[in-house]
Formats: sequence, structure tokens, C-alpha cells
Amino acid sequence: MFYIHQTSCISPQHTFGDADINKLAEPAEKRLQAIEPSYDAIPPGVLRRMGKVVRMGVGAAMPLLQNHPKPDGIIIGTATGGKDDCVKFLNQIIEYDEGMLTPINFVQSTPNAVASQIGLLTKNHGYNVSHLHLGLAFEFAMTDADMMLNENPLNNYLLGAVDDICTHHYYFEDKTGWYKKEDVSNKTLYETNPAATGSPGSIAGEAAAMFWVNGMEAGAVAKLQAVDTLHQADESIVKEKLQDFIEKYLPAGEKIDLLLTGENGDNRLLKYYSSCESVIKEDVTIARFKHMCGEYPTATAMGLWLCCDILQHQHIPDHMIKNAVVKSRYKNILMYNNYKGVQHSFILVSGQ
Amino acid sequence: MDRIVVTGMGVISAIGNTVAENRASLVKGTCGLGSLEMFPSKFSTLLPVGEIKITTEALKEKLEAHERGITRTTLLALHAFKESLADSQLTSEQVSSSDTALIGASTVGGMCLTDEMHRDAQKDTPGSEYIPSYDYASISMYLQQRYSMNGPVNTINTACSSSANAIMFGARLIRNGRAKRAIVGGVDSLAKFTINGFNALHILSPDNCTPFDEDRKGLNLGEGAAFIVLEKEEDVAGKKIYASLSGYSNANDSFHASSLSDNGDGPYKAMSDALALAKLDPSQIDFINAHGTATENNDKVESIAMLRLFGKAPAFASTKANIGHTLGAAGAIEALYCILNLAEQELYPGIHFKKPITGLGLEPVQAYKKIALEHIMSNSFGFGGNCSSLIFSKA
Repeated sequence: MFYIHQTSCISPQHTFGDADINKLAEPAEKRLQAIEPSYDAIPPGVLRRMGKVVRMGVGAAMPLLQNHPKPDGIIIGTATGGKDDCVKFLNQIIEYDEGMLTPINFVQSTPNAVASQIGLLTKNHGYNVSHLHLGLAFEFAMTDADMMLNENPLNNYLLGAVDDICTHHYYFEDKTGWYKKEDVSNKTLYETNPAATGSPGSIAGEAAAMFWVNGMEAGAVAKLQAVDTLHQADESIVKEKLQDFIEKYLPAGEKIDLLLTGENGDNRLLKYYSSCESVIKEDVTIARFKHMCGEYPTATAMGLWLCCDILQHQHIPDHMIKNAVVKSRYKNILMYNNYKGVQHSFILVSGQ
Repeated sequence: MDRIVVTGMGVISAIGNTVAENRASLVKGTCGLGSLEMFPSKFSTLLPVGEIKITTEALKEKLEAHERGITRTTLLALHAFKESLADSQLTSEQVSSSDTALIGASTVGGMCLTDEMHRDAQKDTPGSEYIPSYDYASISMYLQQRYSMNGPVNTINTACSSSANAIMFGARLIRNGRAKRAIVGGVDSLAKFTINGFNALHILSPDNCTPFDEDRKGLNLGEGAAFIVLEKEEDVAGKKIYASLSGYSNANDSFHASSLSDNGDGPYKAMSDALALAKLDPSQIDFINAHGTATENNDKVESIAMLRLFGKAPAFASTKANIGHTLGAAGAIEALYCILNLAEQELYPGIHFKKPITGLGLEPVQAYKKIALEHIMSNSFGFGGNCSSLIFSKA
């Protein structure tokens, strides 16, 4: 359990600076690409050398770092961090047949590049770690922050996640059938869900979302009640785990007001979302977010950013709604996501 | 606070396929460095490496691991993982229990298949069976599936200190009540990718590396894997205990992406924070398994940081002279060697050292010693300023 005090997000939607999530930006060339700001807070010489994923991660983190004293640690979830530079260096190796190579891409290819760049730019000597566990990378970053705050209740942490659609990652995912073969608009993404009539794959996506977190309730935007994970292909076991999760973490006498899911238009994965929806009562609003950021391993960080926005503004854009229930107030949001049908996460976020 | 203890170990490296073989080689001061034989590279005879002389095919046979897309990195991890489970006598029910965690680390992952990955990264080539394996998480995910694990399974990265942080994260899961036991470690295999990367940085030695020597010429890369089983002391009555994990820390040097600050602020903070957590005075550390890569920068800065913190440096040595720098596996393999030091109450000869660094005068342990040891530190530093220290104490 910890409190989220400030958030920042660079995504394919209008989430950075003056956010407006009611307006839905659409994909281009089958990709939902981030709307990148001008990154004024990053020195131009440094910015020029940064790969996109590092730029987005550092760029999203900067507004939080400028408004607070130094955090006691930097905890990042990323599955693709550094990989663009990896492939650039691979290309050098092959192209120049192991000849004289420039090391810059190699140095930037390590997956801790985002966390370490934030540490380097802000001269932060504290805890600095990257969690890479693909579809659960951000969940373990959250778990880490949660444990850190349990161990050091007075500390502050920069918690976040970032992944980008680097070219080769797009090809890897496309060749293994995780993106839709046909062109699809994000406005109709969920129409391709049904197992029989739909199609496999989703839209490629990316985003960076950062959170300033600590153990102090006063002034918090949201409370991260709990996060749990599961590796499992059987939807009935996933459903049981979700039931246990709600029983264990939903405060007594309270109910779930909103179920936010990672449904992504892939007709192979709908069964997991349907099972999880069947756990909650009929009077719960159900909303979705992958049409906003596309599919990528740490998409739940964008989901958490949206949870905070919904709790703050008590408003859910129509384009997110799957099952509308009139609510006087949204307090408890349950988020369920699954990545490629084998990595599942359950997150409970509450407002004041 | 409950003590976190080590109840099982598994390792494979250039000096042995098991814990027993590694110990025998360490006692004798065996150097596992030599020519690269398992894949073609222009540097195969020019730059010594710490290679495990078992082919990937032979590993597949030995481990009965014939799944599509499995890589050498995953096979090495499986080899060490399997040994650690058997050693700690965990039942298959315990391994798959929801309170058993698996925390892995790797910096190369499936990129050991450098050429295949390059082909798969092009637009119009058909995808190979290896695509899902290029990801760093693929190793932990393979082990999770093979052993039907239901607890927390994660993959951590802090560059060359990655597996020290996997150990730390596993211990913290136990301390925070999120797991009853944690199998933690790391793996990396040699790859054209890393050989060319470190070569481009001009920090690979054309000779066998000489940690802490005035005339050191750089590091040698190595491959290997190590896993250790961590449990709470109160849960392991009657079980063999090798050592306890009494301190750990992660600090950032925040100086440069690929080299350490002159004063070694990151290494200093990592070592002193680990001591603080273990509630130990610097004088209580009996030995340090140093990061000791044998690069100009690391050995000098690590020496300076040791002198700053300890006044007079404790006994120390770097086992990278035996096995090379195993990157994502280094933290775990070297932690395991520290656990062996404690369990056997012995120090191993640091090899290849001739002349102390001018102005610093530090000499690593150079002869085998039977000696009373209470507390040992293991240092791991990495790109991005990621510095970590672990402290193990006598069981």
C-alpha cells in the first residue's frame, strides 16, 4: 500500500501537460505512437543522444523531479528499454563484420538505461533499479516501491514505466502474430474481440507514465491498495485469483466502482477478460484503455495514470466505457490486465 | 528481524559445471580463460573468454530441454537452477507453491543468438523460432513454466550488478512477507553482441585479465549462471545452512554511463549502506569478493572506495581472473563463491596478480588459506552507475 501524489504521462493521447483524454487520437500506420513534447527540461546535447524510449521516460519523469526534492530511489518497469540501441549495435556488428564499431549504442543498449539516465541527470545516488519482466515489469516496479515504503516509511520514490514501438520490436511482435494483420481503427478495436468472428492481435502502442509515491495520505491523488501477479494460461484459475484478490484487499464494507481492463481486441484473449468481468457485480462500471495507448508490455502504467485521472476528475470519457452504470462517485478502481494470455495482473486503486 | 539463510546453491561457469567443481577449481587457482570455441567470431583467438566447454546441443540433451526457441542462456540458467533445487531439497510442491518466488537477471538474454536476432529484426524475413526468446524475461518465464511455479516471478536489471539485485529483491520479498522462500540468481552467455560492445569500448584485455595489477589491460568476458535458495531461518529447522544474507544495498554513482567516478562515490555508498543494514562495522568484514573487472577505471576506483571506507582494506580478491566477467550472472556467481568461503572457512588464491597499483598499494589474497571467516562482502558495479554490495555471514 502506498500513496500516489503526482503523475505524468507521455502517450499517444493528450496526457502530457494540459491533459484532455476525452478527445481520442487515432493510430497511423497501424501504430499508436506517443505525442512527444519538446522536452525542454532535458539539456539539448543529452536529448540528441537519447533513444526514443529513454527520451520518453526521462521526459515524463522530469515534471515530477522538478517539483520535489530528490527522490530516495528511482524504480522503473520496462521491457523494451535500451532495445532500439541493441539492434542499432547489432546492425553495426553485422554491417562492419565485427570491425571498428562505435560504442555509444552498446552503452545505451542496457535495459537499465532509462532509470540510470534519470539518476545521472538528476545526480541521484539512491536506489536505482529496472524491472524487465515483460507484461509484469511495471507490476514488479510497483511491488518494489511498495516494499521500499514499507521498509522506509518516510521516503519518496519516483516510480514509473516506459516502452516504445521500436522498429525491430514491431517486427518481432508482428511476425509472431501479436499485431492485427488488417488495418483497424482504435474506435472499433473492440469489435474484433469475439472469438468466432474477431481476429487475433492488437494495435502496437507505447507510453511513459511516472508517479511520485510515498507513504503519506495527506494530499494524495490516490492510494495504491494492492498489486498482485500470476503466470497462468487457464482462465478459471485467473478468475479464482481475482476473487481472492478482491476478498483480500477490498476494504470491508466497500465495493468496486469501476473495473478497468486491458482488453485489446485480440480474439484469443477475450475469454480472460470475460471471466474476470463475471467476478464483479452488475452495478459496476466497466471501462477499457488499450484503444488509447495500444498494446505494449507496461501498458498498466498508462492504466494507473488513467485511474488517477478518473479519481481526480470523477469522469470517464465515453470512448472508454464498456458497461455504463450511473455513479455518484468513483472510489475503488480494480484494474485487470493480461499480457499475451500468460501474464496477469490485478491492481486495486482507491481515491479519498 | 529473522535471518535470511542460504539453503541451496547451483552454479555453472568456465571452471566447473557444479558447485563442487567450482570449489575444487577455486582451491587450485584454476584459470578458465581461453579461446572462444562455441560460435564463430573474428575475436575467437584474439580475446580470451571464460567459456563453458559444453555445446548448446549437449546442454539440451543433458537437461532434456528440447522446446522450440530455447537458447544457451536459458539452458545455462536451467543447469544451475536445477542444481540449487536439488541441493536445498525443495519438494516439487514447495517449488510450485504460491509462496516460492523466482527472481532472475540477465543482460544478454536471447541475444546470445546475435546473427539470428539481426535477421529477425529485418522487415521482410520470416520470423525464426527464437523471437520470443530474445527478451530478458524469457529465461525466468521458461523456468516458471518448466517447474509450474505459482509465486512471484520477476526479472531484474541493473546492468552488470543485475543478479546482486535479484538476490536483494528475493530477500526483500521474504522480509516483507510476500514469499516464504526465493530462488534467486542470474545468467549470461557469451555473445558476439557483448564481445563487440566491450571491444568497442576498448576495455577487453588481449591477455588473461589481471585484477588489481598495475599493468592490467582490461577485462575478459565470461559466461555462466548461478542460483541460490533463500529461506527464513525459522522455516528451515534441520536443513543444511550455508550462510546468512545479512546486508545488501543498491546505490547509484550517477557520474557516467560506462565508468565510475574518481572517488568511487557509488561503490562507497553501496558498501557502507550494506554495512549499515547488516549493523556491522567496516572492521568486521573479513574478506571482499571485489567487482575487480581488471579495467583501468574499475580497479582503481574500487580500491579508492575500499580505502576510503575501510581505512586499511580487508583481505580481497576478484574471481573474474578465474571465470571472466559474467555480466548479469556475475553478482550471483560471486555471491555463491562468498557463501563457499564462509561455509568452508577458506579463502581462494587470487590469480594473475603481480604488481600493486602505484599509489594505492593494495594486494589481493594470492594463496589458499584456511581461516576463520564471519562476514564477507561481494561487490557488483554496472553501467549506468548501478553499484550494489551484498554481505553474507557465517551460518
